[in-house]
Amino acid sequence: MADRDQTLIGSGTFVRGRVTGTGDLEIAGRIEGDVSCSGDVLVDGSGLVGAGISARRIVVRGAVKGDLVAEDAIILEAGARVVGDLKAPRIAIAPGALVRGHVQTGGAGAARSRSAAATASRASSASAAKAAPAAAAPARTEAKKAAPPAARSAPAGNGGKSSTHRSSAGASGASRVGPPPPVVPVLKKGTKAALHHKKR
Amino acid sequence: MASTVIGAGITIEGEVTSDEDVIVSGTLRGKLVAKDAVTVEHGGVVEADINAGPVAIAGSVTGNISSNDRVDLQNGAKVVGNVKATRITIADGAQFKGNVDMDV
Repeated sequence: MADRDQTLIGSGTFVRGRVTGTGDLEIAGRIEGDVSCSGDVLVDGSGLVGAGISARRIVVRGAVKGDLVAEDAIILEAGARVVGDLKAPRIAIAPGALVRGHVQTGGAGAARSRSAAATASRASSASAAKAAPAAAAPARTEAKKAAPPAARSAPAGNGGKSSTHRSSAGASGASRVGPPPPVVPVLKKGTKAALHHKKR
Repeated sequence: MASTVIGAGITIEGEVTSDEDVIVSGTLRGKLVAKDAVTVEHGGVVEADINAGPVAIAGSVTGNISSNDRVDLQNGAKVVGNVKATRITIADGAQFKGNVDMDV
């Protein structure tokens, strides 16, 4: 049997839910849910992942529908079918692999902050805070401020950029927010904030 | 090849359905349905109802276990929940709290 730190989702297995943890993960079956692990993830030819994967290193020979974020490398081998964005310091796409989505190499920081932001919103805020030192959270709120709901359909480029070039995101945000809030008579401190919240 | 292994460092939150053997050394929360054998190894934690063929437990299980074959609670096992199977063994050193139903 495989050693205990090696996880294998067999070809006859279907997982509906989140898979997280340490160690390596080999997927020959089907997973409908986010996969995040600190080791290597291998999606076999028969493997099918219906959501994002974030890991140290991702090798795909099967099908993935979701964003791939790796700290080290993403390798799409022949037969891989990926619909989603790729982000890693190094990305290899072999002939015979199909990709539809935004591909971004380099900028480990960017890849990190985005994956951290993604995970932070879901669960482990403690580890995320460690991974993305304070940058992710403010950048994200800025991006949210800058981008009205309509712009949320393309969060990939926007989110990534805003986390790498915070200042530019802030500048573009200022131009996009629209007119400044109306000048109002002197208000108490809390009232304005409450109004602002209500508006959003 | 013919099995699914949830490694020691891995946590799955959700439902696992399998046509083959499942070995749990890590953590599984949710539901586990397997057509074949399920093994919860020492150190494995299952917080889920298990519905499977033969079940062997050496780790910790919280949830009801239903098997169309046999359930073996091995030494070191810690089970809280009801067990329904045609044959059941509880080894010396296994902890068990729950009902047993062998009427299948």
